[in-house]
Amino acid sequence: MDGLLQLLINGISIGATYALFALGYTLVFSVLGVINFAHGAVFTCGAYFTYLLLGGAVGSNGMLAGMHFPLALPLLVALPLAGIGAAAMGLLVEAVAFKPLRRRGAEPLLYLITSLGAGVILVNLIQLLMGAEAYALPGNLLGRWPAVLALGHGVQIRTVQLLLLIVAGIAMLILSLWLNRSSYGKALQAVAEDGTTARLLGINSGAIIQLAFAIASFLAGISGGLVALSVNIGGPYFGIGYGLKGLGVLVLGGLGSAPGAVLGGLIIGIAEALVPAKLSAYKDAVAFAFLFLMLILRPQGLLGKPPMEKV
Amino acid sequence: MIDISLFVLMLLGALLALAVYLPLRAGQLSLATPGFYTIGGTVAALLSTQLPGLGGSDAVYPLTSLLLEMIVAIAVAGLLAFLIGKPVLKLRGIYLAIATIALVEILRVVLLSSPWFGAAVGIFAIPQPFEGPEGYLIAYGLLLAIVAWACARLERQPLGMAMAAIRDDELAARCMGVSTDQVKLIAFVLSAIVAAAAGVLAAHYFNSWNARQANFDASITTLAFVVLGGSRTWLGPVIGGLVLTALPELLRPIGDLRLIVFGLVILLGPIFIPQGLIKSKQS
Repeated sequence: MDGLLQLLINGISIGATYALFALGYTLVFSVLGVINFAHGAVFTCGAYFTYLLLGGAVGSNGMLAGMHFPLALPLLVALPLAGIGAAAMGLLVEAVAFKPLRRRGAEPLLYLITSLGAGVILVNLIQLLMGAEAYALPGNLLGRWPAVLALGHGVQIRTVQLLLLIVAGIAMLILSLWLNRSSYGKALQAVAEDGTTARLLGINSGAIIQLAFAIASFLAGISGGLVALSVNIGGPYFGIGYGLKGLGVLVLGGLGSAPGAVLGGLIIGIAEALVPAKLSAYKDAVAFAFLFLMLILRPQGLLGKPPMEKV
Repeated sequence: MIDISLFVLMLLGALLALAVYLPLRAGQLSLATPGFYTIGGTVAALLSTQLPGLGGSDAVYPLTSLLLEMIVAIAVAGLLAFLIGKPVLKLRGIYLAIATIALVEILRVVLLSSPWFGAAVGIFAIPQPFEGPEGYLIAYGLLLAIVAWACARLERQPLGMAMAAIRDDELAARCMGVSTDQVKLIAFVLSAIVAAAAGVLAAHYFNSWNARQANFDASITTLAFVVLGGSRTWLGPVIGGLVLTALPELLRPIGDLRLIVFGLVILLGPIFIPQGLIKSKQS
């Protein structure tokens, strides 16, 4: 029983990062109806920004070898700053890979290619500048906090996991309040509902799309930093796996549904944690098996609206 | 230095591009091509290393055995595509693309984790039917010629026209009496067959085989071949596959920058030449 509780804690904390990541996917999908395949690369940028802002030095293989940011910022400052950096990257991706196609009303297939091209460029720029090596964040980030908190009955939670849960929870809370209460949030929902009508009603849909990219990329950047904190940065390509798993989360919850992304993230995180150690090699297939079954049984996902067919 | 092996890879790229093109002609964005390619290669690697009877008495692997592998691989991939295609092709647009990405990921994890398929290390010492790359060049050239000829012929036949009709307007095609489900399924199975045949040759050519070939990067790269080459006629994917396979190799002198340039090409291609290099005559 305690073992199960421990697995649940592990699953929920990893699921929370999946959820943060997938929220970004779903925000962009809801306003544009396309998937941003550069999202994984932006996530990777967030992880590297976090590493640099914490004062980490660049390894020996990149062009920037040996350099480091002059300040070593505390974690709770570095993380949001890294998110802002990632948001800037997201805006850049929107400007080069999405805006030119959107103006022309191009078919969705092309967005897939251009956004992936942008992702390839970002990942390889990181490799060029910082090398292909793995980076671990500095070890003493938690200061006087213990690394592990005991919850009794042999169940424990790593302080990093707790932090991850808290940050993810706060980010989701703010996002949902903002989406439902603020005028920008409502404008975003209006564009998601029907872009043309929203424009007729005087909503600047171009600006709203940029806003969606900025928020989505901010969330990706933060989750990149959090994942770097909890495992480490496996190299410039480490975001790609998350990017694909994020697709699983997105489909499971329902494309374009924000609560669905959160639910999907938690379900896949927990399901992965419950895979027995003997079968751990198959763990990475769990998200995709869920995704596949969901698409066959209920394409609109758990909380999504069914896609409409024109007649 | 450009050597023969680059030309072999270019022909392989063109074949995979045609495999992506076939369902796309029927309006179906399937990213499963690297999966069926991997299945083809795995079948060839298993048969040629596990069945001593296929090896014959000569030092070189008999071509008849290669042909036999190809028939088995085509049957396996075709059957799998038929079984998977039925439920999957009900999905539309991006949903189909995501489902096929999931298929490729599941296939890779299963093949890499299961000892029957060589697990993570893969299958080694796959026997050679040809003495040098020239033989593979001819074999791939032949395969590409057959597939390209078949595609060109298909485009002028009712089936090919039905596919184009579904791409342009599925509902209208159905109203005109096109059995859309059947046509889409045929396109999907044909695509799997082409990819698997390319995989059989690849397993011998590379001499060793593991399932890492089935990945998301490969899905998108092969799709980029078609989008940049042009997705309206068979010539587009062939040109796209040849050029984009050669590009990273030709860029090798610029070292680390080459993948950035490759990224720029697939970023800017759809923006500046949305219809691809080869446009169709009718539209």
